[in-house]
Amino acid sequence: MNDFLFTQILTELEDAVGRENCSVKEIDKVTHSVDYFWLSRMWADRGRKMPEADFIVSPKDAQETSKVMKIANYYKLPVTTWGGGGGTQGGAIPVCGGILLDTKRMNKIYEVNTDSMYIECGAGAIYKHVEWAANEKGYATMHYPSSLTCSTVGGFLAHRGIGVVSTKYGKIDDMVLQMEVVLPNGDIINTSSAPKHAAGPDLNQIFIGSEGTLGVITKAQMRIYEQPEVRRFRGFLFKDMSSAFKASKEILQKFKPSVMRLYDEAETVSLIKKIVGVAKPGAFMNIAYEGVKEIVDVEEKILLETFNKYGAEDLGSEYGEKWWKEKITFFYPGHMMDLPQMFGTMDTIAPYDKIEKIYYEMKKAVETNFPQAKFIAHFSHWYEWGCMIYDRFIIDEKDVPKDPVEAMRLHNAMWNLGVRTAIANGGVVNDHHGVGFKLGRLMKEQYGPAMQVFEGLKKSLDPNGIMNPFKLGL
Amino acid sequence: MNITEKAKKIADSCRFCWMCRHICPIGNATGLERNTARARALGVSLVVRNATKIDEIADNIYECALCGACTNNCMTGWDPKVFVRETRAQLALENKLPTYITKLIENYINCGNIYGDDVCDCIKDDLTEKSADTLVFMGEDAVIKSPNSVKNVKSLLTKAGVNFTFNQNNDAGSSIYFLTGKTNETLETAKKAATLMNKYKTVVVYDPVDLSMILHEYKEWGIEIKAKIIGFNEYVLGLIESGALKVNKSNAEYTLQDNFAYARELDDLNYGRKLIEKVGVVKDVLLIRKEANLAGNLIMNEYMPEVIKAVALNRLEEARRMGCKVIVTENPAEYEILKSNKQDDVRVISIEEMILENI
Repeated sequence: MNDFLFTQILTELEDAVGRENCSVKEIDKVTHSVDYFWLSRMWADRGRKMPEADFIVSPKDAQETSKVMKIANYYKLPVTTWGGGGGTQGGAIPVCGGILLDTKRMNKIYEVNTDSMYIECGAGAIYKHVEWAANEKGYATMHYPSSLTCSTVGGFLAHRGIGVVSTKYGKIDDMVLQMEVVLPNGDIINTSSAPKHAAGPDLNQIFIGSEGTLGVITKAQMRIYEQPEVRRFRGFLFKDMSSAFKASKEILQKFKPSVMRLYDEAETVSLIKKIVGVAKPGAFMNIAYEGVKEIVDVEEKILLETFNKYGAEDLGSEYGEKWWKEKITFFYPGHMMDLPQMFGTMDTIAPYDKIEKIYYEMKKAVETNFPQAKFIAHFSHWYEWGCMIYDRFIIDEKDVPKDPVEAMRLHNAMWNLGVRTAIANGGVVNDHHGVGFKLGRLMKEQYGPAMQVFEGLKKSLDPNGIMNPFKLGL
Repeated sequence: MNITEKAKKIADSCRFCWMCRHICPIGNATGLERNTARARALGVSLVVRNATKIDEIADNIYECALCGACTNNCMTGWDPKVFVRETRAQLALENKLPTYITKLIENYINCGNIYGDDVCDCIKDDLTEKSADTLVFMGEDAVIKSPNSVKNVKSLLTKAGVNFTFNQNNDAGSSIYFLTGKTNETLETAKKAATLMNKYKTVVVYDPVDLSMILHEYKEWGIEIKAKIIGFNEYVLGLIESGALKVNKSNAEYTLQDNFAYARELDDLNYGRKLIEKVGVVKDVLLIRKEANLAGNLIMNEYMPEVIKAVALNRLEEARRMGCKVIVTENPAEYEILKSNKQDDVRVISIEEMILENI
């Protein structure tokens, strides 16, 4: 872009959001060029520059966002939306340059509504701040992912996030009542005033998970919950994963624990032994159940009886309580995998009749084709019909190519293999990290002709194709 | 870039970690992605790798208040303040300081303080040295920017019958350390302050930021302090407990604005809260003690006043949401910044004002 045109666009963007909220500084471009995606981190680690946006803009609300959209559409500039930048899939990276729209000025807590049990807030609010707002009134959001302090309301919604107490309280898409969205043409829309209705398809669910390809979420009403009277933990050791799956499916027909985490034997040994102290072989499972004490007493009785029937060894509450306290510690540097290792989480989800096979097939595929990789997994979000696998591959430094191009080649080959194996056995591309830049190429392989539904929406809402190009396979 | 291996290691650990962003008072006020420990670390790590120039990250390095909220939040124990201070020193050494920082340093050289202001006439006489065993070291922020603090401290200690003196030198080196890290200028200032303090048996340090520097950095830099050093809150509590100061207790609620230096850097045993308990009832707000949320910084107010105003307003809003009516500050920077931005429904007083009101 020539200087003259660049400056003209800059002044128009400054007019839209205020000069102080529009930056072309190198530090702002660099900061928004690396998210939590391993490839972006590796690229920066090797001293290579990631693609940068030309303009960083921070609108304060839907009206300013609308103005930015109109400018972007007129000049046909790509728009990449950035919340906290804590995504693992490269969804927030401005791969085509253009405008980087940072939502964090839209961080206002508008209302804590205890009559209808929601908080209305700007999509740029960091979720931990929403949690604090709920806590101030004695309530809780019950959305506790490891990225609680890193990511924004809009980021979680756009990538279909999930937290550790999801089995009882749901995924982010269960936690939203209404959203305000700015469409690519600048129109500001609101989804229906209640999330359950028969007034056509659910607009919320069209934009949730759309990863900034169909518009910008600018405001949302997020559910809040009463704090549980009691929250109890129980650790169990199953002799194998099969019995744990059977026991868990049975429990979920009776009541919903808040936390359910089953670790495969490899992860039980490597991770849980180090952090929690369990040294025995088998499949470790951590359960939390919570709510009104009298009900929790009954749930505990059912839990113990059911798991006992499947031969689980009751390890008491100590492990779970320690895990709860340290549940975020795992993700700080020094506790977590980090460069120069290569690693990734290929989370997928499937019904119970497929999930175990997916696990073993993915494990076999990774370990056979990439013997340098370690494969570990746990199963951490459960439903009456199935659950998700949080499976990770880790390659130590000595086996990671020094050449960044070769490192990217290996990384993408591993992901192709892992996700294709999941899809071939009945899984989906991803469970709760999203698709982003990392997995876009695999969306068509999963959806086949169904992909035209997404493409139709994209074409209709974003005819110039400006919104977050090359993400979500769109 | 010539920074220590320790600083490089911390930057490399923080550059891809997002965990502490929610706790940064500056980032929360600006909403800017660059106002996070990870963004600063990324910038420093790219300069170290020659992928960007130090000039490009200079402004952002000065947008950090060095309050240590991120350090306290880190489960691994990394301290982003280390690479921020070292990068500031490097910018000073390379003559690449932003112009607004150079201006403050010129003030320091020409006027003896970074603000370039004279001491208010209303306290000039008070600062004249007298014969006493106890020196009350008010600090540069108090003497230059908060003369009321000097008057109130004088009034309080006089009522307690303490034989003390102030001094015209109130520069522990904290402000120049904030601006340029550990440079020769910082060391010289610290040594000069130590020489003064060592003339006394006891030194009561009013500003916890100075107290932290005297107890930690002076020791680390081999600057010997022979005098007994005591923080102001602890000293006043001792006066009350010994009966030298008689106070009245009521049911009035006070919210302590924990200062980060007391809360996070010093082995402070909640002296501020204990003082409140002597005269009233503690009404806590969110983000207290070790998680203290910064409410103001006078140095940064010189070059980014709008952001510091937003920092103060955020804290006042938190207090208002929690039903707090009176905020009690522990250092002059937060006192002055909060007072200048206070809203009608929240009162801001210093800890000595609170005691004086209850004698």
